Amino acid sequence: MDTVLEIDGLARRYGDQDALRGVSLALGAGECLGLLGPNGAGKTTLVRIIAGRVRPDAGRVRLLGRSLQPGGSAGREALGVVPQEIALYPLLTAVENLEVFGALQGVHGGELARRVDWALAFSGLEARRDDRVGTFSGGMQRRLNIACSVLHRPRVLLLDEPTVGVDPQSRERIWHMLDELRATGTSIVLTTHQLDEAENQCDRIVIIDHGRVIAAGTLAELVAGIGDAAPEPEPEPRVRQASLQAVFIHLTGRALRE
Amino acid sequence: MRALLRITWLNLRRDRVALALTFLLPIAFFTIFALIFGGMGNAGPSESRPLNVLAVDLDDSVVSRRLVQALDEQAGLQVATELPVEEGRGLSRGQSRGLSPGQAPDRESAARAVRAGRFHAALVIPAGFGAEFPAFGGGAQAVELVYDPSNPVAEFAVGGMLQAAAFSAAPDILFERGIEALEEFGGELTPAQREAVEDLKALLAEGFPGSTDGAADESATGGSGNAAFSGLVAVDSVNVRTLGAPEDAPRRNSMIAYYAAGMGVMFLLFSMTGAAGSILEEEESGALERLLMSRTSLTTILAAKWLFYAALGFAQVTVMFVYGNLAFALPLWTANYLAGFVVVASVTALSASAFGLLLATVCRSRSQLGGLSTIVILIMSAVGGSMVPRFIMPDAMETLGRFTFNGWAMDAFLGVFWHDDPGAGVLASLAPVLLPVAVMLAMMAAFLAGARLAARRWETL
Repeated sequence: MDTVLEIDGLARRYGDQDALRGVSLALGAGECLGLLGPNGAGKTTLVRIIAGRVRPDAGRVRLLGRSLQPGGSAGREALGVVPQEIALYPLLTAVENLEVFGALQGVHGGELARRVDWALAFSGLEARRDDRVGTFSGGMQRRLNIACSVLHRPRVLLLDEPTVGVDPQSRERIWHMLDELRATGTSIVLTTHQLDEAENQCDRIVIIDHGRVIAAGTLAELVAGIGDAAPEPEPEPRVRQASLQAVFIHLTGRALRE
Repeated sequence: MRALLRITWLNLRRDRVALALTFLLPIAFFTIFALIFGGMGNAGPSESRPLNVLAVDLDDSVVSRRLVQALDEQAGLQVATELPVEEGRGLSRGQSRGLSPGQAPDRESAARAVRAGRFHAALVIPAGFGAEFPAFGGGAQAVELVYDPSNPVAEFAVGGMLQAAAFSAAPDILFERGIEALEEFGGELTPAQREAVEDLKALLAEGFPGSTDGAADESATGGSGNAAFSGLVAVDSVNVRTLGAPEDAPRRNSMIAYYAAGMGVMFLLFSMTGAAGSILEEEESGALERLLMSRTSLTTILAAKWLFYAALGFAQVTVMFVYGNLAFALPLWTANYLAGFVVVASVTALSASAFGLLLATVCRSRSQLGGLSTIVILIMSAVGGSMVPRFIMPDAMETLGRFTFNGWAMDAFLGVFWHDDPGAGVLASLAPVLLPVAVMLAMMAAFLAGARLAARRWETL
């Protein structure tokens, strides 16, 4: 599998706090990589460095084989970022939001119109295309939030907790959308606290804590890695979710982070 | 109940802007208006800004010279007998009858100086005035009071002080003319009475330049206007805005233009600041982060907002002035007014938009911006003349107004609508607005630089 995104030794310090301490990982073509970690582990800093919004103190990022300049959008045309916030204009309609964000990603004219139509179908919002986004439900806004980030057909998509606060139906639809993107060759980095999502949707999982990668691999590899040391999840009635939860708690501990 | 009160108190105590709005803004406003209308402490009316009057003495008699001197001694007047240097230059460049600085003005150049806002009024003392002074019962040469209606008190204040000055200017002459009237109706004085009169005249003349004999010898040149006569001096009041205009020319109320500019500038600042606050909403929603992750830059985002809101501000001011024209006959549809309006409104809107952007980038939230902008804009508007004309402010306050955006914006608008010269061409008519426009452009550059600097927090970390 070709590597589309390569992170090598990223370090970043805020004041006397180390946000990242030499994080390295790789994303293969068409792969979905789950990025897990407690709050304050360094996930958001990692995503922001990849997106060019934070300059690393050390390390490098390679996208499609080319080193990215730290900071700025240059060279990041093949990258799409879905922020955790609903970063949309509530007074604009769905179409208008898609049009402005598509244009800002360099898609124009007839191509933009075609991509907007595709994005509306992709997000299941065709019937609400001319409604103001402020009138949408949380799930609809989340879907449009994703659609606005993929109009330029990025090869690599970074998603920061894309299913926060949505109902099961919208969540299902969002995963259907991401599957559709993966089917067209888009590679995905997904940061989430929803362990079942990571377990079911991601090909590999990277767990970050205190600015370091403390575990990486498939779910089976992670579970095998902790062996009998896995603590009993409590309370966790669903067996399907227990394994990754157990791995996560084993590696990062039960202590609250914030 | 106690818990609810505690919540409210803690929120208020930790919101500095709300505290400032609650306690400091009312005090600041009270102070400003107290200074404008009441002076400080025991300060009396003398603390208020005197009216600038240009005296044009075409008579050059002892009486006229004394009258000018007495006017100058009036506490509320500041009398000049020569045109200021810049006025002389302006006139010599643009007008056929220009005067070099230092020369005594004539009626025409004095009227131009008043129209240009250099003086609140001009007093033209006609030749022959001294010979007929005082003209009890009318029929004498009238002093022409050329006033700028943009200052509504100038006409009456200067007229009143002219009469007061006339009483104190020449008591010996008044006495002599009174004795003459007595002799005319009651018979000639005896030699002893004559001697006593002469002694008293000499006593009254002490402290005044020249001699009363000269005054008595003045020759009348004849002719008098349709002057209003309500004192020792006949006064012919002339509105400088209608001077030379056709009889059927529309008369306009200068205060309409004043408040169109005053309210226009103040609300322009409010709307620009409110609009620029959208960047804070974008920051909160994450849309700004999304924009910054696209193929655009922070500078481009700021520039787009600045230009759009400037266009919006121009439209806002235009709507206001067009409404002023339709509802209150504010003059607008001449080449000079339109050119001046477009230039001034454009620069004002560009600068106000930059100001709004600066405040928005300095603040951390919408609510902080709302509070800060209310404080800054209201104080700037009060001091800068958006609420009360600066010409009635004390000197110190008027000077302070020159450090506000409103002050310069008002000067620019009033340069178009008050200090216009109907005879000037379009380009020449822009002369009065050049300085305020230049200052506003400099402010705009500073605001933009400040906004860009403050916006660095959104840049790549």
